[in-house]
Amino acid sequence: MPSIETEDLTKRFGSLTAVDHLSFRVDPGEIFGLLGPNGAGKTTTIRMLASLIEPTEGCARVGGHDVVKESLRVREMVGILTESPSLYDRLTAEENMEFFAEAYGITDRSERSKRIRELLEFFDLWERRNDKAGGFSKGMKQKLALARALVHSPEILFLDEPTSGLDPRSAKDIRDLMEELSERENQTILLSTHRLEDAERLCSRGMIIRDGGSLIVGSPDELRRRMTGSPFLEVRLRRVDEGIIRSIRTLEQVSNLSIDDDANKMIVGLKDLEDATPLIVRRIVEAGGLILSVETLEPSLEEAYIKLVGGEAE
Amino acid sequence: MRASKVLLVFRKDWREISRNWQVMMPIIMVPLLFTVALPVIVTLVPELVNVPTSSTAFLELMLENLPAQLQSQLSGMTESQVMTYVMLLYFFAPFFLIIPVMASSVIASDSFAGEKERKTIEALLATPITDGELLLGKALVSFLPSVAVTAASFLLYSATVDLLTYRTFGKLLLPNLNWVVLIFGLTPIIALASVGLTVIISARVRGFREAQQISAVLIVPIIAMLLAQASGALIFGVPVVGGLTLVFALIDFLLFRLGVRLFRRESILSQVG
Repeated sequence: MPSIETEDLTKRFGSLTAVDHLSFRVDPGEIFGLLGPNGAGKTTTIRMLASLIEPTEGCARVGGHDVVKESLRVREMVGILTESPSLYDRLTAEENMEFFAEAYGITDRSERSKRIRELLEFFDLWERRNDKAGGFSKGMKQKLALARALVHSPEILFLDEPTSGLDPRSAKDIRDLMEELSERENQTILLSTHRLEDAERLCSRGMIIRDGGSLIVGSPDELRRRMTGSPFLEVRLRRVDEGIIRSIRTLEQVSNLSIDDDANKMIVGLKDLEDATPLIVRRIVEAGGLILSVETLEPSLEEAYIKLVGGEAE
Repeated sequence: MRASKVLLVFRKDWREISRNWQVMMPIIMVPLLFTVALPVIVTLVPELVNVPTSSTAFLELMLENLPAQLQSQLSGMTESQVMTYVMLLYFFAPFFLIIPVMASSVIASDSFAGEKERKTIEALLATPITDGELLLGKALVSFLPSVAVTAASFLLYSATVDLLTYRTFGKLLLPNLNWVVLIFGLTPIIALASVGLTVIISARVRGFREAQQISAVLIVPIIAMLLAQASGALIFGVPVVGGLTLVFALIDFLLFRLGVRLFRRESILSQVG
C-alpha cells in the first residue's frame, strides 16, 4: 500500500485553481520531492494531504486513510513542518515540544520527556530547552519546528520549504539533519521545495509542478534527463573540414550538429552519449581529424529547471 | 469532545497570555482603577473639598426615579451620604460590566486573531485536535480569567467601599443582593457575549489589534446603560440586572451559533496565506 496516493487532486479558491488534477503516489520509506516555484501549489497540496483543507475535486489517501473522511486519523499519523516555523515565541523550546507531544496523544509524561529530550539533543537544542523560542535564530527555530514535527514519531512527514529563508550555513545544517533523520527514522517524507539542491540531495523521486499541475515525475536523474533533453558532445579539433563534418552528420546516433568555425569546435547532439561517443571519436580520427579535447555538455539541472518553470524559481 | 484536549489548549493559551504584557496590563490596570481609585475619589474628595451643588444636580434627577424601596433606604441620610451611597452602589455598577468585556475581548483577540497574526495557527490546526475542542479551549481561556478578574475586582471593590464608608454609614454596604446578581449572574453572561463576538470578528480579520479594536464596540451599550442610569432612565436594581441577564443569554446563544459556524480550518488558513 502506498503511503501517499492522490488521484486528480484539485483545489480551487474562487476562480483560482491552486492545484490542478494532481495524481501521484509515494511508497513507504520514500523521500518524494514536490518541486516548483513559489505559488506553484506545493503548500496547498501539502495542506490537503495533511487534512487541513479539503480538495475541491479528486481524492487522496495518506497512510491508507481518506484525507476528507478520516481527517482526524490522518492528522494523528502525519507530522508537518509548516512553511513558517509556527512556534509559540513566549513558550520555551521544551514547552513548545510538550504542548505538541500532548496534542499528538503522547499522554505518558515519562515517555513524552524521553522523546523530547532525544529530539532536542539530536537537534542540538537541549541546552537551550528553557529559553523562549522567540529568542532563537531562524535556523534554531527551524530545527525546533522540525523536532516538533517528529515528536510523535509520525509514519509520514510533510516538510514544506524546510530551508526557505535560511542562510546557506543553516540551510546546509537542516539538509544534513534531514538526511540523517531519513536514515534513522525511516519515514515516508514528502518534501516541498523550490530549491533543487534540497531535492537532489534528499529525494529518491520527485515531481515538478507549475500552476498547480504536474510537469514531470521521476528520480533526480530522470528529471535531469527529461528536462535537459539529449546530451551534447563538444569536440575541439586542430581544424574542422568538410570531410569530418560529412562523416559525423551521416551517423544515425547524431541528432544535431553545429560547427563553430572560429574555435574549430563541433557541438554534436547525441541520442545516447555512452554508446555514441567512442564512435564519433573513431569517425573523426578516420576522417583525418586531430582531436584536441572531447567534453560532454549537460545543462545543469538548475538551469533546466528554471527554464522549465518559467524562470520563477530562485 | 475530549476534555483533556480542551484543557491542553486552555493551558497552552493561558501560559502564553499570562506572559504577554500587552494583554495583562489592561486586565490588571482597568479593574484597579474601578475598584480602588473611583471609590477613593467619591468618598474622600467631597470631604476634602467643597463640591458645588451644580455637580450633584444629576443626582437629583436620578433620585427622583429611584424605586420606592430604595428611596426609603436613603431617607435620613445627609446629601453627601446620599451621593456617596448612590454613586458607589448604583452609578458605578455598569463599570463592572466593562471589566469582563474588556478582559475577555483582549484575551480572545490574542488567542484567536493573535495566533493567526503570529502564524502559529497552521501547526495547531494540523494536530489531531478537533475544531470543537480548539474553539472551546480558546473560549474558556478568554472566559474564565475575565470572570475571575471581575469577581476579584468585586471583592476588592467591596473591601475598599466598606473600608471607606463604614465610619460614615456604620454598616457594611457591600456585598448586597443587587451586586451579587450583577457580578455572578450578569457579568459572566456578558463576558460570554464578548468572547462570542470576538470569535466572529477574529474569523474575519488578520490581526490581534484589528480584532481588539472592533470588539471594543461592545463597550458602547455599556456606556449607554451608564448614561441611562445617570439620566435616571435606568436603575441597576435586581429587576434590571435580571432582565439584562436574560437578554444577554439570548445574544450569547446567537453569537456562539454563528461563531461555531465561522470557526473553520479552511477559512482560517486562507487568511494566513
